Amino acid sequence: MAVRLDDKLLEFFKRPLMCIIAAASAAGRPSVGRGVGFDVLDDKETLDVVFSAWQWPRLEADIRQTGRIAATFVSPSDYVSFQLKGNATLQDTAARDLDHAERFIMAATEELASLGVPRSIIAPWLTAREARVARIAVREIYVQTPGPLAGMLAGARSQ
Amino acid sequence: MSLRLFDLSACFEGVIPSIIATASADGTPNISYLSHVVRVDDDHVALSNQFFAKTAANIRANTQVTLILVDGFTGDQFLLDIEFVRSVDIGPLFDKIALQLKASSAQVGMSEVMRLRSADIFRVHRIEKVPSPVPTTPAPSREPISLPALAEAIRAIEGQVEADEIIDNLLCGVRHVLGYRHALVLIRDGDRGCWVTTGSIGYEHSGLGSEIASGDGLIGAAAASRQTIKVNDMSRLRRFGEAIGTEAEMSEDATRVVAFPRLPLAMSQIAVPMAARGAVTGVLFIESVERLAFREEDEAALEILAGQAASALRVGEQAAVAQAAQVLPALRPASDGREIRVVHHRVDDSVFVDGTYIVKGVAGALLCLMLQWHLKDGRDAFTNREMRLALGGRTPEIKDNLETRLLLLRRRLEEKQAPIQIVRIGRGRVRLQAGGRLTIDAARE
Repeated sequence: MAVRLDDKLLEFFKRPLMCIIAAASAAGRPSVGRGVGFDVLDDKETLDVVFSAWQWPRLEADIRQTGRIAATFVSPSDYVSFQLKGNATLQDTAARDLDHAERFIMAATEELASLGVPRSIIAPWLTAREARVARIAVREIYVQTPGPLAGMLAGARSQ
Repeated sequence: MSLRLFDLSACFEGVIPSIIATASADGTPNISYLSHVVRVDDDHVALSNQFFAKTAANIRANTQVTLILVDGFTGDQFLLDIEFVRSVDIGPLFDKIALQLKASSAQVGMSEVMRLRSADIFRVHRIEKVPSPVPTTPAPSREPISLPALAEAIRAIEGQVEADEIIDNLLCGVRHVLGYRHALVLIRDGDRGCWVTTGSIGYEHSGLGSEIASGDGLIGAAAASRQTIKVNDMSRLRRFGEAIGTEAEMSEDATRVVAFPRLPLAMSQIAVPMAARGAVTGVLFIESVERLAFREEDEAALEILAGQAASALRVGEQAAVAQAAQVLPALRPASDGREIRVVHHRVDDSVFVDGTYIVKGVAGALLCLMLQWHLKDGRDAFTNREMRLALGGRTPEIKDNLETRLLLLRRRLEEKQAPIQIVRIGRGRVRLQAGGRLTIDAARE
């Protein structure tokens, strides 16, 4: 059953965020990468996440193979985090995806730099080279902020 | 050339969070950040298992795990394919990880949230460097530690019996062999349950006499665990630290509390227990404005120096005890008629000279004792032995650390340019010098 992002989550997605993504091969071996941009689609149940196939080729292969995906978004300043899980398909990359990536990378870099992380360290993490877009039909959302609510379901069940 | 765990040492400092990806038995992936990865040996890593429940369950159901580790100097990323082997919740490896987790979570302000339940051991099957879109900045190169210089520093410490010279030589070694500019030596005060700053280099305010409560922070944790603890990136904590300090310094006379010295832009800190024969008697604490300032070899060298100093202090205390009691010459009368007013607060043995706070605890009691003897029979020279006997019933611990308390007293009087000074006149002997006529009052609390 699809899950809809509620207003609280939509507000969260306006903050400067970091994103990490996992998929798994048919043999159950996990793959991993960093997201460098995203867009919540109008239905609020689907999310496009941009990543670099150049940096994370295994992630691309696994999404193509199994479509199982998890993406965690974290606000670096206070560690508020949510993990979205669902099925993903790879979409053609459009100019607007690259725009999302550019904005995301700029905001994340500024946020981390303001927290004292040197820019020279951040630069290797965030690239849209050979950008791919994973379109995620969200099935589950979990709170992943460290603390008592970690692991609780978030978001709204769709009717 | 294939990568080895040994090549990834800057990834294990807990500076940049690692990332762990798992998959459940049905192939659903899960991803989260991970605060600490520890290198166990060339083929294994241990992960601090303060995991979210899903990660923990996945690892048991599907032992294949993928990690991203990040080099804290360069930002380079590494992909590791690892496999769960076993879990440990007791023993030296668990203790080591628990301590590192405590330090690294403190450095991101999460110490109350992250508690270690167990540590999971994984075999590493493959390490792959993730391509970087930019040339990464190489790690700053530092000279390896000079073993001859280290040996020389050890000999310099070993050759001393007086507490001040031992501590000064230790700090000198820290400065000249390892190049660190800001360091403290704290000595245990078991009576008051704290660690007292007794040696200091590099700080604007020396902080001599400042205290850290037992168990507090890196210093307390290093002492309690008898293990070195470090943090290598305090960029998130220093903003809180900057505001503290000057206010406390100004209120010293009102609060009887000496401000703990601070390096406002500190990025790295290390606390090294000073242990001799299994007992921790002090802590060597060092700060640096550099990120990742303490490499593994630096830690090892500091542990060697701190251990040598602890042994030398112990030997020095024993040597002072062994000094024969000797009648010391009577004093010369006070030089002028100016009154020096000493106030003693019995509640904590704090002592003020002409309204200026000097010291408290055993060091304060020692000063009062000498002043009382001086007023009673005119002597101005005293043996450590007689002081040990006089105070031993009240503070049994003094038999082990009278020398360091006298040192603290002497240095605080010097620093405050008090009209009373204590000078060493030979092994186990000191002289009280007063620039006026002394009065001593017990304060009403």
